[in-house]
Amino acid sequence: MLLDALLSRRLVVLTGKGGVGKSVVGAAIALAACERRRRVLLVEIKAPVAAAALFAGPGPARREPGPAGREAEVRPGLYTLNLDPAAVMDEYVRRVVKLEILARRVLESPVYHRFFAAAPGLKELMTLGKIMVLEEARARFSHRPLWDLIVLDAPATGHGLQFLKVPLAASAAVPVGPIGHNARRVLALLRDPAKTALVLVAVPEEMAVVEAVQFHRLAAEDMDMRPAAVVLNACHERRFSDDEEAEVLRLTAEGADGTLEPDVPLSAALRAARRQIRRRKLTRFYEARLRRNVDAPLVSLPFLFREALSLDDVRLLAGLLEAA
Amino acid sequence: MAPRLSPAEALERALVERRILVACGSGGVGKTTTAAALAVRAARSGRRVLVCTIDPSRRLATSLGLNQLSGRPRPIDLSRLAPYPARGGALWAMVLDVKSTFDALVARYTPDAAARARILENRFYRHVSAALAGTHEYMAMEKLLELRADERWDLVVLDTPPTRHALDFLDAPDRLLGFLDTSVLRWFLRPYFVAGRLTLKVATRTGAVALRLADRFLGLQFLQDLSEFFLAFESMYDGFKERATRVHALLRDGSSGFVMVAGPQPLALEEALYFHRRLAEKGMPFVAFVVNRVHLDPARERRARRGVRPALPPGLAARLAETLREQQVLARVERRAVARLEVDTRERPVLVPELEQDVHDLRGLAEFGDLVFGGARARSRPARAAVGR
Repeated sequence: MLLDALLSRRLVVLTGKGGVGKSVVGAAIALAACERRRRVLLVEIKAPVAAAALFAGPGPARREPGPAGREAEVRPGLYTLNLDPAAVMDEYVRRVVKLEILARRVLESPVYHRFFAAAPGLKELMTLGKIMVLEEARARFSHRPLWDLIVLDAPATGHGLQFLKVPLAASAAVPVGPIGHNARRVLALLRDPAKTALVLVAVPEEMAVVEAVQFHRLAAEDMDMRPAAVVLNACHERRFSDDEEAEVLRLTAEGADGTLEPDVPLSAALRAARRQIRRRKLTRFYEARLRRNVDAPLVSLPFLFREALSLDDVRLLAGLLEAA
Repeated sequence: MAPRLSPAEALERALVERRILVACGSGGVGKTTTAAALAVRAARSGRRVLVCTIDPSRRLATSLGLNQLSGRPRPIDLSRLAPYPARGGALWAMVLDVKSTFDALVARYTPDAAARARILENRFYRHVSAALAGTHEYMAMEKLLELRADERWDLVVLDTPPTRHALDFLDAPDRLLGFLDTSVLRWFLRPYFVAGRLTLKVATRTGAVALRLADRFLGLQFLQDLSEFFLAFESMYDGFKERATRVHALLRDGSSGFVMVAGPQPLALEEALYFHRRLAEKGMPFVAFVVNRVHLDPARERRARRGVRPALPPGLAARLAETLREQQVLARVERRAVARLEVDTRERPVLVPELEQDVHDLRGLAEFGDLVFGGARARSRPARAAVGR
């Protein structure tokens, strides 16, 4: 259901507070789409740990960013792209200034670097412009879209909405000229619910949920964008029945101890169980709050207790998204 | 040699002695909550404290149990802390209003009303000055100068913007100044304005290319707005630069200090390590690492008592063991990451265990403080401790 909704669009924009697991959710959506035989491009922006690393195979994710600015096919039909806004800007300069010698001179000038480092919204606009170009790209002969789906892992909220608002600000600040024109085209793409799905990612914690609800409201007010789905990541599922939960509490109150298995003290396991129960309740609570306040389907994904996430974990999450 | 303070003691001492504490860290690690909790702690010990947040999502307001905070400092009623004791201190809170701080700065440095109006009404300034990369950070530092000079407070706790990389906070002002530097203007924007029309008579060939490029990319109107802005700004630049130098001096001063807030995950701590190194390079005083939401190993919290295990319903024993194993994995990953940070920085971080409940009111902040400084002031700790039990 959820996946059908997402796959009917061209662009999925993931947004949420930092640390909620947007990259992994993005990787899972991309993988699920790929399993449905879609040609998918997963785009990250200057990711410290590129999603590509998740697809690299077993073992912990590598810290090095993927090759900036180039699509890498991480499995058949699934490509990742780690965008570096500075590289996108350079690419643009090269395209506009056709003469390599002149382009290089511009690119090497300190003024260009200083200007680009601080120019308002330029990075965001270039990045979104690049997404638009990717969306519009067509295969040479068939003229079919080059990408069936583009999944964009947008910067964290707070900054996330600012990021999406840049085209709006740019078209207001520069009503005429090419920058305004392009900004309006980007804006039209983002606002088109037939083409773009906004997906809010949160975790069952107060601040993350408050921010998701706030983002939802502001995105509608300021941007006329409504989320297609909310993904609540790192959820704790029910593990103990009501009777068992009561038993855990009773045993705790009694101060019961002994060993469960060799070297596994019962008291520690009871403590762990109470923690699990508390987190499970918090998960429920925040699920309910998100359902009340955000008018979009909610999908819950489990907390994964791992030393490091692997492709198998992405596969697991993709399967859950497929079933949602 | 004096005995080395525990990390919590070092932080507590900073709360009593320093005048400025800057809470740094990437987004989503509880930075705002930590800043607010430190401020509450200092206020409870009798100091007059202002906590200033920059976060556009106004998380501090939630933490302080207020519906909204404004750009002006507002006193917080400490009686709402009850039953937590407070010893005559005062707590104020505010949200940094980037635009109005920028406006005030313009007003301060423009020579006359006409020049001021030229900037304030400039289209570029109106729409995008607040969005300039680094503006938030710059204005936060600018505000610090003003707040530090205010006699009402003994301590200012500054929460920093949610950046992907905590370091952005240190580098942003330089980047903004680089952008506003008049040499950019001389280089390729001024010819535009002077001629009032497209002209390529600039000093260098590269300048001409840059200009043509800018025209193609940005359009003439934008360039005119921009060059007007720069021209108007030229008279202010030296004032800006002078302020920035003073802010840097202030931050390097021994009465200031940086508190690095991080999550316990390996990647978050790697970033904390990097920040620590950069602080040292810049000669800025480091106070402590605060690592939030640490998952404790349930088996290590209390020594297991030996006894005879009661009979358990079928299946429950296995599920209990599984639950414990999961949490031990998490605790182990975090413990290793913290150990690496300790080895690399020779600093022991303050570890804050995951809380029973999210912090979203004054009492929660006080409780958070007790968790951080727990050992130091065990008596003020309420019977209902917040550690995950």
